[in-house]
Amino acid sequence: MDKRIDRRTFLKFSSAGIASALLGSTGLLSWTPRAEAATITQTFYITEGFITQPDGIDVYFRGFSPSTNSLTVPGAQMIVQEGDTVRITIVNTLGTSHSFKIDGVVDSGRIYGGQTKTIEFQVNNAGTYLYYDARNAPYNRLTGLHGGFAVMPRGSSDEIYDGSPRFVQQYFWLFHDIDPVWHNAIRNRNTPNTRYSPRYFTLNGLSARPPGAPGAHDPNVDAMADPRSALHGHVGDRTLLRVLNPGLCQQSVHTHGNHMEWITDNGQVRDEVWSKDCIYLEGNMGKFDAIYPFESPPDAEPPVNTGTYPMHLHTEMSQTAGGGMYMFGALTDIYFE
Amino acid sequence: MGMRRRSSSTDTTTTDTTTTTSGGMDGGGGGGGGMGGGACYVYPGAPATPGLTNADVTYDLGIDMQIPLTMDDGNTINMWGFSDNGGNMDGMGGGGGGMGGGTFPSPAMRMRQGDIVHTNLNVGMMWMHTVHHHGIEPAHTSDGVGHITWDVANGTYTYQWRPAHAGTYFYHCHTNTVLHAEMGMYGVLIVDPPEGAGTLFSGGPTYDVEAFWVVDEIDSSWHNLPWDAGTCGGDVGLNELNPDYFVITGVDGSGNSAMNLPPISATVQRGQKLLARYICAGYHPQKIRFGGLTGKIYASDGRPLPKPVSVTEIRAASAERYDIIFEPTERGTYLIETDIIHWVTGDVLGTTRTSITVT
Ligand SMILES: [Cu+2]
Ligand SMILES: [Cu+2]
Repeated sequence: MDKRIDRRTFLKFSSAGIASALLGSTGLLSWTPRAEAATITQTFYITEGFITQPDGIDVYFRGFSPSTNSLTVPGAQMIVQEGDTVRITIVNTLGTSHSFKIDGVVDSGRIYGGQTKTIEFQVNNAGTYLYYDARNAPYNRLTGLHGGFAVMPRGSSDEIYDGSPRFVQQYFWLFHDIDPVWHNAIRNRNTPNTRYSPRYFTLNGLSARPPGAPGAHDPNVDAMADPRSALHGHVGDRTLLRVLNPGLCQQSVHTHGNHMEWITDNGQVRDEVWSKDCIYLEGNMGKFDAIYPFESPPDAEPPVNTGTYPMHLHTEMSQTAGGGMYMFGALTDIYFE
Repeated sequence: MGMRRRSSSTDTTTTDTTTTTSGGMDGGGGGGGGMGGGACYVYPGAPATPGLTNADVTYDLGIDMQIPLTMDDGNTINMWGFSDNGGNMDGMGGGGGGMGGGTFPSPAMRMRQGDIVHTNLNVGMMWMHTVHHHGIEPAHTSDGVGHITWDVANGTYTYQWRPAHAGTYFYHCHTNTVLHAEMGMYGVLIVDPPEGAGTLFSGGPTYDVEAFWVVDEIDSSWHNLPWDAGTCGGDVGLNELNPDYFVITGVDGSGNSAMNLPPISATVQRGQKLLARYICAGYHPQKIRFGGLTGKIYASDGRPLPKPVSVTEIRAASAERYDIIFEPTERGTYLIETDIIHWVTGDVLGTTRTSITVT
């Protein structure tokens, strides 16, 4: 992990530190169902530091990190199954109070600066959740204290909930928007009092880099190359997208190549599955589940089964960084292999 | 971002073959936007289309970067768009060179499901553009996304595709998309089922009258930017869309200009069926209200819904399409209003208006 102390005495992280902390050999969210419930333990260190944005600007973040000397935004992807007991230890290395909350599931309450707190809870409802710091809302969450949490149906490897449409593989897509002025105010323990003006947009913590740009194709830098984000599949590899929005901007999630099967909306199973090329993602913790079916692109002449397509937000302001730099925003690629 | 790079890509896969020249971040400067300004992270090319075959329907599109749009307040905003004379020009002239012929919105495309379609895009040497047929899912070589294939430059490229699903789509430029689509580089794309116009999709509803509600917002402060604004870095304000004009199907919708202007407005007799094809063509979310009428959504994004849904209003995100059938039973004039809603605050930024008259 590339990290160094900068003159502000904060840890400074190239974005290269982010993904590698989470990834094994594959970025796919892998899951093996169990017949029995288990106890899942996880420790998060609440840390802070700076992450360099595509235009070279260092922006302050906080994260649920894997160690004291790291900064991970978003926090590690967690996947458990119904009936499991989850035991989470939060080590707050900062001087400010924080919390760990999953709406409808658990709320740690206040964790003081310097305090360590362990919470234990059972998960009973399959679905896609955001874990986040609910204190000083929405500010602490916006600085990066959030992550994806998935509960699988008991004993199932291919459903969102019992009896749902089935999938072969699954990904989290966490979209985020960043106003560096707000982040700096929060760093200084002030309440932001400027109009919210996001300048950076990320997918699973990374902005994209177009081919030819510094960092392009580096999975630790480029959201288009990040195996947590870029979809890889063969025809038939139905892919669950667990889409979460810790940011404030309402977004339109748009896939090329295939329409998505839109299955849940803000935690509710939809009455009917609609086939959509754009899905409305609400701001301020909106979420949905959809399946990207990896069917042969239907309108190709002659027919094709391979190719590369983008996923991008159609709220196109989110495709920029620092007020320009198209394609340095929240997008990734979809590979039909 | 200290380097200025120009990528070239000549095959079906993305390449990083770049020629790098020295230079700083100047993407926001100037007003002409010619290639001399040095665009970054564009992928010029216009190769032969893989698998090219004979087309049933052909569209020849050129580029027009000077399309005046006069608003209700008398101000004229410069729009960009496609012209329908691209195929008649060489790479330097007329449509390709940006000398006119374009409209806002760009010319509509309409074909039947199963037709083999060619979209020939002719672009001059002054800039780059593409055509992405939004919601159409062709081979990636015909998808019009620069970083995956190429941005059409100094030549003609043929997008070949064959729509499998009837419905409402639109096409737009996908080069520096944040700017080019906002500047107006889009047009309506309708795929009729084999039965032809008058049927929404095979096995779906028929209709007697058709209306087109393409609702968009304009931030006039973006409209003096060059085509490559921001691509080499620099803050050109493309993260902030603060619209001051609101249009429906190319007409200022904030006043009465679109109230009685078919095929935006519609007149329908009781007992007839009106199909409204609604496209959220802006970036901010929208909410469209039907003035007391109840409509039935039969399809969205070019796909039938499993069950039609009765609605009096619809919330939509950027680029969503909804096909709504109205079968009004009461005489009267019904106001169709679409609020454009700020993507963060939820504030209503503006509203477009048109009408349905039932006789
Ligand atoms: Cu363009
Ligand atoms: Cu689009």
